[in-house]
Amino acid sequence: MNPVGKGFLYEIKKNRILYLMCVPALIILIMFSYIPFAGVWMAFTDFNVVDGIFGSKFVGLDNFKYFFSANSMGWKVTYNTLYINFFSLILGIIIPVSIAIFINEIRHKAYKKIAQSMMFFPYFISWVVVGAILYGIFSTDVGVANQILKFFGADPISWYSEPKYWKWIIILSSVWKWSGYSSIIYMAAMANFDASLYEAAKVDGASKLQQILHLTVPMLKPTIIVLSLLSIGRIFYGDFGMIYGIVGNNPVLVDEVTVIDTYVYQSMRTLGFSYSTAIGLFQSLMGLILITAANQSAKKINDGEGLF
Amino acid sequence: MMKKNRLLGDRLVIGVAYVFIGLFALICLYPLILTLSVSFSSEQAIARNGYSIFPLSPSVDTYKYIFVNSGMKILKSYGVTIFVTVVGTAGALLITSMIAFSLSIKKLRYRNTLAFICNFTIIFSAGLIPWYIVSVNYYGLKNSILALILPSIFSVWNMFLLRTYFASVSPALYEAAEIDGANYFTIYVKVALPLSKTALLTVGLMYALQYWNDWWHALIFVNDRDLFPLQYYLYNILSNVNAISSGRIPSGASGNITLPAETVKMAITVITIGPIIFLFPYIQKYFVHGIMTGAVKE
Repeated sequence: MNPVGKGFLYEIKKNRILYLMCVPALIILIMFSYIPFAGVWMAFTDFNVVDGIFGSKFVGLDNFKYFFSANSMGWKVTYNTLYINFFSLILGIIIPVSIAIFINEIRHKAYKKIAQSMMFFPYFISWVVVGAILYGIFSTDVGVANQILKFFGADPISWYSEPKYWKWIIILSSVWKWSGYSSIIYMAAMANFDASLYEAAKVDGASKLQQILHLTVPMLKPTIIVLSLLSIGRIFYGDFGMIYGIVGNNPVLVDEVTVIDTYVYQSMRTLGFSYSTAIGLFQSLMGLILITAANQSAKKINDGEGLF
Repeated sequence: MMKKNRLLGDRLVIGVAYVFIGLFALICLYPLILTLSVSFSSEQAIARNGYSIFPLSPSVDTYKYIFVNSGMKILKSYGVTIFVTVVGTAGALLITSMIAFSLSIKKLRYRNTLAFICNFTIIFSAGLIPWYIVSVNYYGLKNSILALILPSIFSVWNMFLLRTYFASVSPALYEAAEIDGANYFTIYVKVALPLSKTALLTVGLMYALQYWNDWWHALIFVNDRDLFPLQYYLYNILSNVNAISSGRIPSGASGNITLPAETVKMAITVITIGPIIFLFPYIQKYFVHGIMTGAVKE
């Protein structure tokens, strides 16, 4: 058996149909993920169109320095990104887990089914539609929120010119949109729990609340931890579609809700390609570090099985 | 006495469950009903009383008005969205399922290398700007319908989801087909695909939803009004409204833009959601089933 005969070309030839079936996907990845890596070089240059990516002047880390200097929005957008993601993450665990636990206690099948369908609805609509709905709730003259305030005798609020509310409007919208969907994963985990444990607990006289606190929650823990780790790995990424879909080009709110992703897009037009590329690279590097760490932790918790 | 307390406690927990689930379900559906009823209300009633959960002096005038005034534009956008959704989903399913099937075959020697090539793109990316420059300058995607299809035609997450399903098919089935002289492409078409219908449907729905709801590729790549997908058409209407209602846009600039009436905005929103409103209770069932079986490991 000559090892050369069992080499790379032999393997490719033997399974050429399988390898060919991978080609279209690989072409897409190469086009949209791998080739752009070359453009990362722009982050270290002062890009101008005439000289091109590799002809432009090399400036080292200047673009990164500017991002964290006092007159850039660097710290602000990093703070906004982490703030919005942190609270979405916490509520994005508590609410779906509660849904899963509570839906398990409901005996009426129809009630369960209808409620579940309703909770799934937000998952199906785009962020632009969410933006339209929020307008119906928060617009100054006709919005529902102000009608409620008026009903209780309070002064109406001009929501769209008050930036301070919007971080939480965005956080709550995100929780609203994903909770029904996320709860399914917890329900799937719960479907696998050993029913005899619950029988035994009942015989021992454990109340429902005790069963939830001492059986369901501890057994859900691994799933909760893995899903949280996954979110922590992406904490430097904002949802571009969400922010722009909700806030649009409203110049007043932008300061409070600009996250790294939307800042990259805005800077592209005002501060140039090089600077924007540098921010994107900073984001990717932070993401890489966090997601690798998250994967390692997940492997430890989940018997060697990582997130990917 | 103890037992009585416990039963009372249990009832309380169950009561809380009913209330919590009921309330959250209502909060999820309330905005849809609000949108629907405003779109079927008369404009004057809305201006007088504000948004309401019940249609105020019900009428279909708004819809008539929209179709008379911008019917063609909306139809065009509908056409763009349907084309992108159908072609995108079909292409995505083909591309994704082919590589997922290949990577599920254990005797393929380089499958881990290929899986890593896929994984790495989740872990690290070049960022928006290099991606944008390559797409516009080298692939010519500016103002092209391909810009709305190609960038999202392959999702590594969906690929791994499908691979899990393919891997659960017994290898003995493939071997039997191989002995009968079938090659792997035939096995993929005749054995693997029919056995994974639930998975294909779930992943297909995910892709379809993603294409239907996508608007930021249009924001980035498309200026040509003829290529506006539905969601981006709506975005354009709404973002002007938001900017103006903040009160900080100079009056000269806002003077040129006529704000659409409240009922018009909501009617266009309803049109944009489109078939999803009618389909979601049915689709939802498949989703729940598909995700449940995908999430549970054997």
